[in-house]
Amino acid sequence: MRQWIIFFLLVTTLAAVGCGGDDDVQEVTDNDLTDIPYDPKTYEIIVPCDYPEMPIPADNPMTIDGFELGRHLFYDPILSADSTQSCSSCHLPSGSFTDNLPVSVGIDGIAGRRSSMSLLNIGYVTQDLFWDGRSATLEEQALLPVEDPIELHHSWPAVVEQLRRHESYPEMFRKAFGISNTNEITKELAAKALAQFERALVSSGQSRYDRWRCETGFLLTESEINGLLLYTNEDDDHPGCTHCHSREAQLFSDFTIKNNGLDSVGPTVEDLNNFIDKGLGEVTNNVFDNGKFRVPSLNNIAMTAPYMHDGRFNTLEEVIDHYSSGGKTSFNIDPNVHSFNLTTEEKEDLIEFLHTLTDTEFMNNPAFQNPFEE
Amino acid sequence: MRKLLYLLPLSLLFFVTACGDDDVQAEETAEVNLNFKATYDGDDFYTENIYKLFEGVDDTDIKFSTFDFFIGNVSLIKNVGEEFEETELLEIDFVSLSFDPGQAAQAEAGVTIQGRKVPAGTYDGIKIGFGVPADLNRTSPSEYGSGDVLSKTSHYWSGWDSYIFAKLEGLADHNGNGVFETSGVEEGFTYHMGTDETFTERTIFQTITLEVDEERTVNLNLDVRKLFRMTLSEYDQDDNDLLDVEDFPGTHTDAELQINKTMMNNFSDAVSLQE
Ligand code: HEC
Ligand code: HEC
Repeated sequence: MRQWIIFFLLVTTLAAVGCGGDDDVQEVTDNDLTDIPYDPKTYEIIVPCDYPEMPIPADNPMTIDGFELGRHLFYDPILSADSTQSCSSCHLPSGSFTDNLPVSVGIDGIAGRRSSMSLLNIGYVTQDLFWDGRSATLEEQALLPVEDPIELHHSWPAVVEQLRRHESYPEMFRKAFGISNTNEITKELAAKALAQFERALVSSGQSRYDRWRCETGFLLTESEINGLLLYTNEDDDHPGCTHCHSREAQLFSDFTIKNNGLDSVGPTVEDLNNFIDKGLGEVTNNVFDNGKFRVPSLNNIAMTAPYMHDGRFNTLEEVIDHYSSGGKTSFNIDPNVHSFNLTTEEKEDLIEFLHTLTDTEFMNNPAFQNPFEE
Repeated sequence: MRKLLYLLPLSLLFFVTACGDDDVQAEETAEVNLNFKATYDGDDFYTENIYKLFEGVDDTDIKFSTFDFFIGNVSLIKNVGEEFEETELLEIDFVSLSFDPGQAAQAEAGVTIQGRKVPAGTYDGIKIGFGVPADLNRTSPSEYGSGDVLSKTSHYWSGWDSYIFAKLEGLADHNGNGVFETSGVEEGFTYHMGTDETFTERTIFQTITLEVDEERTVNLNLDVRKLFRMTLSEYDQDDNDLLDVEDFPGTHTDAELQINKTMMNNFSDAVSLQE
């Protein structure tokens, strides 16, 4: 028996060594990994003052090795069929994890119909992910882009195979999740690691707004304060942005799904079928949900142009013009949309305020950058 | 030794059973659920469904997009001599009755909220609070994990340092052109209610007898039309004790705070116990 074990070990080591060089690929996909220490250490998410505690699912605790694995997967084109794109192709740190395009373009050069979404503070979105709310958790969401025909257009079995044969991923999966064999690498674990990386993407606390809230003596300009008051003022003839982009918990969204009046489809219930992108209605098949999209957070909003689910507005000026016009007619337009008048100066103030939500420190955080370019 | 080993599990078993018995005797309980549904002037309530604002009085077309509210300090009450003894069913929960005709099944089923187990027996009624009780209203959403009812950023207003106890939002076709408008003509109304002084309690007296192990659902209905009752002459419509929705479409300005209070108060009249 003893001899057999030694023989087996010899063979597997040989096989491993033999293949190490070519193409990062190992011949054997069930390799014992128990020699590699598994010693998970908690990854502490540090949030600025008065942010809620980040909700972490019990079955996917944050660890330093899980975060690192997730970061690698997020930036690794191994997830796409032709190894040209990764999550980061459409979620770039320089755009607060958007691609700054009206709509994203996948590996086959096909333009999708929706704009990429910022991943800043994404861990706080614990339901209704995507513009149309079709995904419930980050773990569930992370599985989708890989097989989406106009995104990474790959297949999970193929990706998992590549990960199992990879030079470094098996060790990283072992360290992150304590698996004892390469054949325990699954798409679910990959998704968990991606979700851990994403939960770590929280505000730095260095936006002017957060510093004003948290640091005594740090002041906003008169114009910024005036903009904040306009933003918050819910009187009937004022912007009332907080009705949907709530300032509570600093997340600038109430995470509801609403029609904010972007399209004029006509006044009747039947007209609701005229939305080109039906949004929530596509998920629920309920005509009353057509044209409803999730209220996005406005943190880092100055860095994520163009705006709305289809990137129709290039600037924040255009966004405010849209809202002050009172929106376009459709049966289910949200009653919190209403026309208001701002002077040129007030409009500038409102935009100044939105700029206080800019968090470049977050975007430049070395821990969130591409690990393959270090 | 062998015998002793047998004895040990036996005595343990005895011990456990003895304890179990005790528990049951002390707590002969029943479970009480609350079911909420809504009507508008007696008709089934759906969001996005068109009603007459005040049928016969003001036939303006109106439709709602949101109707929801917190309930707090709900308890069963028992008449003991001069006083009432309260048995708490739940401290805080949130009820959204915003179901459109595409969600008819949900509207028909209503929203059921599970209350705590309570001792079986006979009670004399049920007490319901509408809003967030003062002790909890001192907290705010950032203190709660998402998923908690009090984590709703949509239902807190820092201008008041208060949760928004209830929301009633929609559009009314004031100019009668058949279009619900938000642009140019303001037809939206957004009534947001809240602050400690508006917390409203209603006690409904009715004998409720709970058998041991029974699971009982107490059915409650809210008639949304009743929320519009307005006896303050500044805000009512042509002295008919109904809110002037066109001139006062919100609860945000200081003047409109009276509307907030009155509407919250109206919950006590709008709620009724169903068979
Ligand atoms: C081809 C571009 C593209 C790629 C590649 C891509 N995404 Fe996205 N991502 C988008 C677009 C576009 C949306 C919005 C789609 C929608 O709402 O239908 C989105 C939405 C999301 C959201 C939802 C955000 C929110 O606020 O609800 C998450 C999370 C996300 N992506 C993570 C990822 C991860 C993780 C990967 C890699 C596995 C990835 N994305 C790859 C374009 C891309
Ligand atoms: C009725 C709720 C509501 C109100 C009020 C509201 N918004 Fe929005 N906002 C939304 C929704 C929903 C979206 C996403 C719509 C879409 O893309 O289809 C959105 C999108 C945006 C975007 C684009 C975000 C992105 O990532 O592309 C900006 C910027 C914005 N809103 C700013 C504002 C400002 C400023 C105000 C106040 C003047 C305001 N909003 C008022 C609901 C609202």
